[in-house]
Amino acid sequence: MNPRINLSDYEHIVGRSYIEELRMLAGKLSGKSILNVNSTFVGGGVAEILSRMVPLLNQLGVDTRWRVISGDTRFFEITKKFHNALHGSQSEPISDEEFSIFLETTKQNMHKIDLSSDILFIHDPQPVALIAKKSNTHSKWIWRCHIDISHPDSRVWDFLKQFVVNYDGTVFSSPNFAQELPIRQFFAPPSIDPLSDKNRELSIEATDAILAKYGLDRDKPIILQVSRFDWLKDPLGVIKAFELVRKNFVCQLVLAGGAASDDPESEAVLKKVKERAADNPDIHILDLPPDSNLEINALQRAATIIVQKSIREGFALTITEALWKAKPVVASAVGGIPLQVRNKLTGLLCHSVEGAARALRQILANPDYGQWLGRNGREHVRQHFLITREIRDYLLIFLTAGRNEDFIYL
Amino acid sequence: MVTVDWLKADLLVPVLVFLGVLFIALWLRRISYDALQRWLSKKQTEASRIIISATKGPFLHWFLILGAYIALQVSVLATQWKVLAGKILASIFVAYLGWILIRLSRELVKLYLSKTKVPRSVITVTTNVAQVTIVIVGVLILLELWGAPMIPILVAVICAIAIAILAFRDMFPNLVSGLQLTQQKQIKTGDLIRLESGEEGHVQEITWRNTEIRTLGGETIIIPNSKLMQTTIINYGKQPKAAKEPFQFFTRLHLKELTGLKARNLTELVERLESVPDAVIYYHTHSFIEEYHFLTPQPANDFALWVEDALGYDVLAERLASIDTLEFPSVGSLRQMIIRAIQDFLAQTANERDAPPGNEFHFVKSIGVVLPTPYVAHNLREFVGILRRISTDSLYFHIFEARLRLHRGTNDFSLWFEDSLGEKELAEEVSRLDPYNYTLENLREKIIQLCEKRL
Repeated sequence: MNPRINLSDYEHIVGRSYIEELRMLAGKLSGKSILNVNSTFVGGGVAEILSRMVPLLNQLGVDTRWRVISGDTRFFEITKKFHNALHGSQSEPISDEEFSIFLETTKQNMHKIDLSSDILFIHDPQPVALIAKKSNTHSKWIWRCHIDISHPDSRVWDFLKQFVVNYDGTVFSSPNFAQELPIRQFFAPPSIDPLSDKNRELSIEATDAILAKYGLDRDKPIILQVSRFDWLKDPLGVIKAFELVRKNFVCQLVLAGGAASDDPESEAVLKKVKERAADNPDIHILDLPPDSNLEINALQRAATIIVQKSIREGFALTITEALWKAKPVVASAVGGIPLQVRNKLTGLLCHSVEGAARALRQILANPDYGQWLGRNGREHVRQHFLITREIRDYLLIFLTAGRNEDFIYL
Repeated sequence: MVTVDWLKADLLVPVLVFLGVLFIALWLRRISYDALQRWLSKKQTEASRIIISATKGPFLHWFLILGAYIALQVSVLATQWKVLAGKILASIFVAYLGWILIRLSRELVKLYLSKTKVPRSVITVTTNVAQVTIVIVGVLILLELWGAPMIPILVAVICAIAIAILAFRDMFPNLVSGLQLTQQKQIKTGDLIRLESGEEGHVQEITWRNTEIRTLGGETIIIPNSKLMQTTIINYGKQPKAAKEPFQFFTRLHLKELTGLKARNLTELVERLESVPDAVIYYHTHSFIEEYHFLTPQPANDFALWVEDALGYDVLAERLASIDTLEFPSVGSLRQMIIRAIQDFLAQTANERDAPPGNEFHFVKSIGVVLPTPYVAHNLREFVGILRRISTDSLYFHIFEARLRLHRGTNDFSLWFEDSLGEKELAEEVSRLDPYNYTLENLREKIIQLCEKRL
């Protein structure tokens, strides 16, 4: 977390009354301690959100700590398999011995980590079995599942479920991740930090410098898709839609992303995309290193329209980032995208290459309409997908843990 | 005999001189104070009374000192003793005079400034400045009298004054502004004012440097007087009548609870609708307001959207979207209307469609978490000031949830206007507003406008 950023920096973004309400909620948690447990301090979305959220919660006066579990390479290979299996992707089978290693490592962590706290906020499947240490009836345990478990592998889910049911509540990122559980399940979508390098305001000079670095023409409308090179992001479909649009509109396409290190296929996808775009000078393929936050920010700010023509998608934080920059968005109606893009209000949804091309043409021909969609999109993100909202949801969950009414007076 | 001679020769003259001076002093005091009394009695001023009472006694004492000084000078004492005694007497005189001047300045400053109704702190500061000036001048005279090197001391004093001016340079504009504010009676303690920043509050105190304002949220804002003079202030002046009961603003934040229930088609949707708690129906008929409260027109309710997007039943979608939520006094009656609309449609539909996989309707429950805010309105003016700054969540709670979830029949504002302020007409006007057709910000503005008309 940038040490210079503090809660009051968000006041001009979300409004004073919003921050006031956060302080009121935090005041109700006075005297309570929160312990976050996950599997890593660096890398990945969970570590990123915790590194920003924990200091902000402490600034609010909530005693919040963060610990990580430890394990050997084998343990993390097994939890990676769990992740893939929960995600519903084709994964290697998990042996009984591997389940035993998972439990043994959890047991070791129970002894290593001081789990004394009023509220234990356990993130993702890796530390889920720590719940076995729940003895103090006063402490509340919440399991925060950040991954898509809408179609989980039943063997892995059944194994994890025996631990999940002992929690006081769970938190999922989308309504369709909900499971049949005897405990309360809350919906809290992920968020972006408007003050991070990827989302903060950039000067025109800084944006222009980055465009120049990649040889992009500032005067030609830019259609941008930011995503790793993966067939599920349908980069070839985006190129096809662009070619349909290019017949009538002068514009350029930028496909910006990186090759995922844990995805051997991504190199092949990148190669294929480059081949496909080779003879078109208006298509720019940018293979960006993983820490290109400022570059992505600049590209998004310079874009005329931002596309996300995925075939399958998680929550799609790239869409959240695009909307925050008040850009008109054309996106497939998959995963978490419809939660963010309400068709014709905060962007345009599509289901095919032709549909994407039609939506792109509509916006290119009607810049005012694009601006209106962009403004609505930014407001939608301001209200629902910024880090302040995620912090507020968590404070509410902590405060109401163990209560079952539909209307709670604090 | 030698003693008598000495008395005659060395003591008699000084004693006679001393007595002579004392006699002259008594005579002078009598005629001068009588004359002064006569002249000042015509003026009838408090200041004259203060001056006379403060100097009448000391006047005699000063002449006693003068007499002693002259007596010493005519005595036969050695010159060095005469000089020393003279310096001691002069020092006593300076100190005594200084003390009297300090007393006088304190009384006169207090008298003059209290008439101008400046804050007590301004009186204190002015008195202190006058007293310190007298002390400094007195000390300088004494030092001069005793032959201390004056140039370094003067330089030190000048430096100290320069440093003090530098250190307190911001104080003077504030002091002057504080005097202006009170002199011109632009604001006074207890006034409800609105600052350029939009902040509203009651003036708590005007000191010589700052003005303290207690906001309607209970915070204390301290504004330097010079800044306050440069901003536009709206002084609401006289407060409207106080409410019988103050209005406590609450806010309602909400959690979305996943029920794990879903529907693939209309039959399943109706089945679920019949059994889910009211909080689920409420969520799906109001989530659009909460999520898109900044948009006009707002999207329809979740059922209408799903029926159109996932099932492609445009006619039913339109029917569901046009259900006027405001017509229903409870969530239960709203639920029945939705179910009836779907059942009517199903009765005319032969082959029911299923939503594509991944596009099922997921039932979500709204968990309301209510907490009091620091805002409490005691009259309509304060109410408007608070309404301007509360969150949309607070506005939402008092308008939407009060009526439908808390079964209060109408919104909280109208209830308070009528019951506590006796503003029946205003209560009805606000109650007649259709909140479902405004953005929350426009609704806020509309209610403010209606209230402003009554002020």
